[in-house]
Amino acid sequence: MNTLAASFQAPAAEARHAGSAAGQRADSSPGRPRFHLGGGGELAHALFRSYAEIFFLHGGLAGAALCAVTLLSPHVGLAGLLAVLAAYAFARLIRMDRTFLESGYYTYNPLLVGLSLGHLFQLTPLTSFFVIAAGILTLLVTIALAQVFMAYLRLPILSLPFVVVSSMAYMASLRYSNLLHNGAPLPPLLADTFGLPGWAAGFFRAWGALLFSPSVLVGGLLSLIVLGRSRILFLLGVMGYLVGATMRRFMLGSPSQAYQDLLNFNFILIAMAVGGVFMVPSVRSYLIAAIAVAISTLVMDAITGFWSYSGIPAFTLPFNLVCLGVIYVLGLVGDPHIARRIGRTPEETLDDYLATLLRYPGSERTLLPPFAGKWTVWQGFDGQWTHKGAWRCAYDFVITDDEGRTHANGGEKPEDFHCFNKPVLAPVRGRVVQVVGDLPDNPVGQPDKVNNWGNLVVIQDPRGFHVALSHFAQNSLRVKAGDWVERGAVIGRCGNSGYSPQPHIHVQAQLADTPGAASVPFSFVSYVEDGVYHANDLPREGRPVEPLYANKRLESLTNFALDEEYRYQVRRGARDLGELRLRVKMALDGTFYFDSGRGALFFGKHEGTLYFYRATGDDPRLLPLMLVLPRLPLAHREKLAWHDHVPVGLLVSGWRGVLVGVASSFWPRLAEVRVTQRFAGESVVETEVESPLLGVRQTGTVTFNHQKGFCQVTLGDWQLSRKDYEN
Amino acid sequence: MKQTYQKPVINKHRSGLMNKFGWSPVYARKIRTEIDGVPIDRLVEQFGSPLFVYSERAARRKYRRMFNAFSTRYPNVVFGWSYKTNYLQAICALMHQEGALAEVVSAMEYDKARALGVPGERIIFNGPHKSLPVLERAVAEGATVNIDHLDEIVDLELVARKLGRPVTVGLRLNLDAGIYPQWSRFGFNLESGQALAAVKRLAFGKLLRLNGLHCHLGTFILDPQAYARQVQKMVAFGYEVEQAFGFAIEQLDVGGGLPSQIRLKGTYLPPDVAVPEVDEYAEAIAQALSHALRPGDHPRLIIESGRGIIDEAGWLISTIIGAKRLADGTRAYVADAGINLLFTSFWYKFNVELDRQVGGIDETSVIYGPLCMNIDVTDEGIPLPPLKRGHRLIFSPVGAYNNTQWLQFIEYRPNVVLVTETGEVELIREAEDLSDILRRERLPRRLALKPAGATPGEGS
Repeated sequence: MNTLAASFQAPAAEARHAGSAAGQRADSSPGRPRFHLGGGGELAHALFRSYAEIFFLHGGLAGAALCAVTLLSPHVGLAGLLAVLAAYAFARLIRMDRTFLESGYYTYNPLLVGLSLGHLFQLTPLTSFFVIAAGILTLLVTIALAQVFMAYLRLPILSLPFVVVSSMAYMASLRYSNLLHNGAPLPPLLADTFGLPGWAAGFFRAWGALLFSPSVLVGGLLSLIVLGRSRILFLLGVMGYLVGATMRRFMLGSPSQAYQDLLNFNFILIAMAVGGVFMVPSVRSYLIAAIAVAISTLVMDAITGFWSYSGIPAFTLPFNLVCLGVIYVLGLVGDPHIARRIGRTPEETLDDYLATLLRYPGSERTLLPPFAGKWTVWQGFDGQWTHKGAWRCAYDFVITDDEGRTHANGGEKPEDFHCFNKPVLAPVRGRVVQVVGDLPDNPVGQPDKVNNWGNLVVIQDPRGFHVALSHFAQNSLRVKAGDWVERGAVIGRCGNSGYSPQPHIHVQAQLADTPGAASVPFSFVSYVEDGVYHANDLPREGRPVEPLYANKRLESLTNFALDEEYRYQVRRGARDLGELRLRVKMALDGTFYFDSGRGALFFGKHEGTLYFYRATGDDPRLLPLMLVLPRLPLAHREKLAWHDHVPVGLLVSGWRGVLVGVASSFWPRLAEVRVTQRFAGESVVETEVESPLLGVRQTGTVTFNHQKGFCQVTLGDWQLSRKDYEN
Repeated sequence: MKQTYQKPVINKHRSGLMNKFGWSPVYARKIRTEIDGVPIDRLVEQFGSPLFVYSERAARRKYRRMFNAFSTRYPNVVFGWSYKTNYLQAICALMHQEGALAEVVSAMEYDKARALGVPGERIIFNGPHKSLPVLERAVAEGATVNIDHLDEIVDLELVARKLGRPVTVGLRLNLDAGIYPQWSRFGFNLESGQALAAVKRLAFGKLLRLNGLHCHLGTFILDPQAYARQVQKMVAFGYEVEQAFGFAIEQLDVGGGLPSQIRLKGTYLPPDVAVPEVDEYAEAIAQALSHALRPGDHPRLIIESGRGIIDEAGWLISTIIGAKRLADGTRAYVADAGINLLFTSFWYKFNVELDRQVGGIDETSVIYGPLCMNIDVTDEGIPLPPLKRGHRLIFSPVGAYNNTQWLQFIEYRPNVVLVTETGEVELIREAEDLSDILRRERLPRRLALKPAGATPGEGS
């Protein structure tokens, strides 16, 4: 497979640029390593990112290209540059955080305003002053509106500040007779349609109009830049244009009017934003994007009609109104395809989303199963007997024997039941807030209908919820209200008090501290179900579940501390790829990563599991580690197996990567890369990375010994051998 | 039919009435016609007599029952299968399948575990005699070595130096848990400060890293609270060591010694009264742990199980080869199995079952084995009806220690079979023949009675 080497090509361009032009996008990928360079680089970076943001692209290189394209119309390009510089300078004057500025998030609106003014006026000293003023004003409006939108609506502002300020500037300019109108026709090169049919020329001119250069050449270049970065975005753009313009063609009855309208760029933006940026790309997101475009035609014509009374263009107002409206409503109804982590491209968002969906099925309210040894799920979420309505998120556990029975002897007395009197352990650490302990254990089959919850313990978890456990044996509680319990501490014994037809443990998470309060979703961490380890998930009904407690050895072997360095000799087949030095670093958001100098491998320990979250940057040598050990249970059990998934982008690249990127939005299973792992010994993990659909299969191993870190890592023909042992 | 003549004797009858022993001889007569569904007759027909029979189902059931008793009370438990209890490969493999580590106490047992395919890291190496070569191998292969005495510390340091890396070790303790006798010959005494001195020595040497404590109170311990006291002392010592020397104690090996359901000679009460349930031991140990351990600390608890699991899964079928009366009139039987096969008969009063209903009055009888040794007695006084040659006696429980301590003395050792969970019978150890006995012998040529080459087994 030569895909491994090539698979870092895409991120490579990004990181190489980052290395040279300083700074990394901080908002979209928390914890990406930041490479600090001087102030000049920072400015250039912020500048170019402003350009890229207009097309929902993140990355300075695409931005620089876009900037160059705008300068094909010098007035437009220079005015844009001027506005964005003015905004940046003002932002520095008011001491805005550089991190925010670098993202381009606050400066693409001033850029758009500058471009629009450059489109309207010739660049003279007076116009320059006007552009600078408008740029600064846009920055102020952006900061203020962004805050309001985020706080009250949890929405981004898109280009609303641009619409507001540009409209104001246009209206104000009606009274400024000294501004010279940019009446010059486009130079022939820019005006050329290269013999394209009307609808195609209209398409490219709409792209160009996005940067106020409504030219087929500029638009063609722009769309090529977008195509180079993301096929999904480009295709969405085409789809948006065709849907919107065709709708209008039939409504207006005039093809030329419909296809040549410069405002068509709104359709392109809507389709890209809805279908590929704010929603995870999928057939559904494409359909919703098409619907959004279709309804925007109505909005657009209404606005155009109204706005033209004041002599100002509608700009991107239709895009803003429709896009914000659609996203807001999708958020309100809790659409699962709203992107929670927006990647640098829709392809990345999708890959990340699919891998995340498969990798982390659990929740953030994590409980350890409240017992020791192997118990069986009697009733899970939405159980058939009592886990309904407000109490749907709850688990009941019993112990079953080889024959599947929960009791020995006749099963007539609670004492006959395997789980009766077995210790109940605290599933979380926290403060005990409620206890009842003196209710009798019912005869079997005769639940207590008055005291439903029986003997109970409610623990307040400092993470902001409560855990209620029920049906303890009479007088078996070992805690009282006010006690602090650590996870795994014995709190009582399983019994048959309350509404319990046979002895069992009931456990649920709830927000209130009162017994019997409505339940909320939660999940269990660190357990074994049918010999398979689950880091954070929900066990299935009728299945045996056993909690796994972290063991000190694996804990200490993986206790990577800041600034520690691990050195490996890297070989690939017969080739010696030199030494890989991994230094432990902490990112801005507190996550840790191994820094190889050229890339970063993010890791973390969570509830008994070590995760390698993701590899970023330009270092293919990190790939074997990421693929071979996406997660590791911190407790050894003979032959214990577990599963994980990794983003398909790590395995395929080149034209196959391009195809998979687009195709997996239609057929998500294409992006499913399953990693199956198991302990082949106390110090050896065997891994199999497999994607049957793509025909990719690789095997590898990780070996530990008595020292911290991994002793040896192999994957396919990769081999990483620890060098710094005999210190 | 003509009855055989018997010399008249006077016998005290115990009829079917109530008596002070609480049993009625006729109804209390124990008959076993099959083991796990396989008829005794068929077993003997196929594999001969005497015959050791193991039940896979019984072994697995008992293992799971014992393991669940502990694992549902403490969240980090593992069993170490005590090889010396029964190191037949099939039995060991069964236990390893169930998840047990191997607990070995000699080079031979270590080799046996490795030969079976148990990786070094799944072996606990105990015992007072570990030679330097086997220590070196065990350490290199990652076994848990529990140090028995100071000289072993020196040996292990040698090994560490040779391997060029620090070696992780465990330390065996002996302590007063309130039972008698106190096994003080193994490991380091806790109360006298020996153990702490040993840890100090470890720490001083800097080559060994202590990560586990081990203590084995004794065997057939009938007081669960003894384990509670043991655990409490081990945990306290562990924390003392962690605090003072910075070692991390990751495992507590509380040894074995759990009894099986059998009456020891000299005990008055029957085993179902005298022998506590496994749950009581598990409860005592788990409670002691939950009180002694710090919150959030769950070191691995190792139980070295042996007798408690396998004893009751084994039977010995033997056949009467002769009946006689002793001079004092006592009825006596000679069976084809004696103490050569039943080492545990020195302590156990076995459960002896007949393979069929036999009419007649019970008489207190003696059962002798086949050896021409006066001590070859497997039961000195058991009420039995008049038995004849060919009747069978089934001894149980015999799963523990007999197949390891049996003697190759006077007789060949017989077949051992395993009844699988589906009722098939598998031969797991073939009966010996002369070649087994002669294979290791070397007859000097000058002593040969026959020309060279004519004697099977003769070395050249």
